[in-house]
Amino acid sequence: MFAAALAAVSVVGLAGCAPADSDGDFVVYVGRSETLIQPLIDQYIAESGIEVQVRYAGSAELAAQILEEGENSPADVFFAQDAGALGAVSKAGFLRELDADLLNLVDPEYRAADGTWMGASGRVRVFNYDTDKVTQAELPNSVLDLAGPEWRGRVGIAPTNSSFQAFVTALAKVEGEEVASQWLAAMKENGVIYEKNSTILEAVESGQVDAGLINHYYWYAKGNEVGFENLNSEIAAFDSQDVGNLRNVAGVGIVSEDPRAKDFVEFLLSETAQQYFVNETSEYPLIDGVEPPAGLTPLDEIPAPEFDLNDLEALEETLQLIRAAGLI
Amino acid sequence: MQKPPVLTVVLGVFAALLAIVPLGYLVLRLAEGIEAASAELARPRTFELLSNTVLLVVSVSLTALVVGVVQAWFVVRTNLRYPGFYAVVATVPLAIPSYVLALGYVSIFPWFSGFWASWLVLTMATAPYVFLAVSAALLRVDIAAEEVGRSLGLSRLQVFLKITWPQVRTSATAAVLLVSLYVLSEFGAIALLRFDTFTRAIYNAYRSSFDRTAAASLALVLVALTLVIVLLERRYRGDYLMQRPANPRRLKQDLGKLQTPVTLLLALFGLLGAGLPMAALLNWTMIGSSSTDLAKLVSATLSSFGIALLAAILVSIFALAVSIWVVLHKNKLGSFIEGLLWSNHALPAIVVGLALVFFGANVTPWIYQSIWLLMIAYLILFLPNGLAAMSTPLAQVPKGLTEVSQSLGQSYRKSLTKVILPIASPGLIAAAALVMLTVLKELPATLLLRPTGAETLATRLWSATEELAYAQAAPFALVLVIIAGLPALALNASVRKTYAEVNEE
Repeated sequence: MFAAALAAVSVVGLAGCAPADSDGDFVVYVGRSETLIQPLIDQYIAESGIEVQVRYAGSAELAAQILEEGENSPADVFFAQDAGALGAVSKAGFLRELDADLLNLVDPEYRAADGTWMGASGRVRVFNYDTDKVTQAELPNSVLDLAGPEWRGRVGIAPTNSSFQAFVTALAKVEGEEVASQWLAAMKENGVIYEKNSTILEAVESGQVDAGLINHYYWYAKGNEVGFENLNSEIAAFDSQDVGNLRNVAGVGIVSEDPRAKDFVEFLLSETAQQYFVNETSEYPLIDGVEPPAGLTPLDEIPAPEFDLNDLEALEETLQLIRAAGLI
Repeated sequence: MQKPPVLTVVLGVFAALLAIVPLGYLVLRLAEGIEAASAELARPRTFELLSNTVLLVVSVSLTALVVGVVQAWFVVRTNLRYPGFYAVVATVPLAIPSYVLALGYVSIFPWFSGFWASWLVLTMATAPYVFLAVSAALLRVDIAAEEVGRSLGLSRLQVFLKITWPQVRTSATAAVLLVSLYVLSEFGAIALLRFDTFTRAIYNAYRSSFDRTAAASLALVLVALTLVIVLLERRYRGDYLMQRPANPRRLKQDLGKLQTPVTLLLALFGLLGAGLPMAALLNWTMIGSSSTDLAKLVSATLSSFGIALLAAILVSIFALAVSIWVVLHKNKLGSFIEGLLWSNHALPAIVVGLALVFFGANVTPWIYQSIWLLMIAYLILFLPNGLAAMSTPLAQVPKGLTEVSQSLGQSYRKSLTKVILPIASPGLIAAAALVMLTVLKELPATLLLRPTGAETLATRLWSATEELAYAQAAPFALVLVIIAGLPALALNASVRKTYAEVNEE
């Protein structure tokens, strides 16, 4: 029996006791979906001839993993779904400063102030709504309008999700903590709490909740999956300069001294990879010379507030605010 | 009483040392920020979570006990039609990961959420533990005593409560212990059904604030809760009663007019625990069958199977050693070690996983991200499942047989290997099956500790549900349920075999 188990394990190539280590394998921790990212990595392997071992899991789990592994982390590169996870690893000192030629590929707005990580693709917060339940006239001008009594129990939010928390951080920075607290307190009444963006979208689509605050690409992904004509919901931006339109990035940082890491990050910022994000995930490219997905307003024309992504590190205060409102 | 064999002590102490790793890790993290940790604990929200958690644990434990006992009693002790079918129906939910069960409900009823939803799903997910333990015990109940009770004019219910229940209590409370700790550490289903418990707060502490100190302080509260539950269970379960072999002379209650209502009740349990979620799963599988990546499915199935089989063997070896020590050679050190092994059992798997990430990467890098560290995680997480399942069959071996064997000049070791273990073996194999299916369903620790690039059915299922691609997730879930169904049926078979022997009379 024991032998059978060992055989079964070795058949799938797991019995090799040698763990992925820093001196041999090139290891990338990826906090994004495998279906989305693996084709891109396969392309990289084909082009560069470099073998890449990829570990897929949630961004937060991978960040926690790197924090626990410390200096002994087998990871060479951390490719995360959001700036918060990268910020946490960077704050603990486990990300290396990126070379200026890499950093300069993207606008300073989309990278860490200390140069330890940079955006790889962009996304914006949008208002997702059921077209049968929310009329055009009802569409809120500002995310702050959602605090009004007419929205009681109608707005899906994900207080434990990092993209919602990034938005609250921005809200507190732009409008002040007072306004942010009041808004959150109102959302205790008006909001319906979900786990993450995708579950909010599902709830809006299935009629469980009238509207929700999500990242734009979830709606596109759903549309691509089931056909846009079959969607029951639409997305809308708030008015110009409203903090509800926050821009954010998925980003990448280098963990080890492996020279292959820089090459890999360069690839993520190449035209090939940026075009891939545009085509496959409907995200915004961050480098010059690649057009955003058809139908999407260019990122710098999105009516979003001037806001420094580096301020997203103020997560502790944000959590205090969200907790004080009793949302988590 | 004889001293325990050296090998059992060595294995037991080794397992105990491993069990210290998560606890030590938690204390280490806590020491980094006592103030932050106490602030975290003093939040009103913490008390809210605590009461939510206790409410869910108590209510699920009670209903799982009732559902499991009802199923077991009607299947084993009455002239129910097609008892074998209902035995299988009662066992099947064991093969369905609770997050898949929850997903099944949510996909059919999008409004399904909150306390009652979590209560229903977790009751259905855990009732099989009670069913298996109690139906095995019911087969060995002293019928003569029941007949005496009846002849003295006790009602059926009184006979059950006063005579039958004391004889199955030990098995039932051991099962309820597993159920309550299962609920304490449950995350996937609870998150999907949007009910806030301690475990969910621990996940959130890691996920949203990367706050390992807060998470550690919450996790230690769970350890304290676990110890309370374990102590309560020890106080209440009493000693294993002197068991007798299955009584060939059955006293079968005639259901009479109740046949139809009882059948409907058991069918309803089956529908809630297996029918609905399986229907949802089959539906998605058909929708997604065209896009199923067969190569991925086959390789994930092979890794899942290999990993779970290896883990089942390892965990069983340790569980057997500790059970022999605790059941046959009860001493203080043995009880202490048993308590230590249980203390981790309500820890969310992410805590055990991260503790081993820390330990593995920094202390034993040669096994980090290899299959062996994953095996250690399973050993820490599921040794109590093995212990719970192995203690009963070992305790049920009549003591007289060992004595006879020794009086005939056999050494103790020979008596153990030639008499005790063979008699207990069906129960021991069932215990290994239980461990195997539990490992198959495990996700959080597997995700953190698996070798880079290795994917199991559970991790594939996770990535697909992350994208809410239910149709793509379904085939992985379905194969997982089928594979986990094999050990579940093996478990059930050991009960039914005894049952069949009895019925041939």
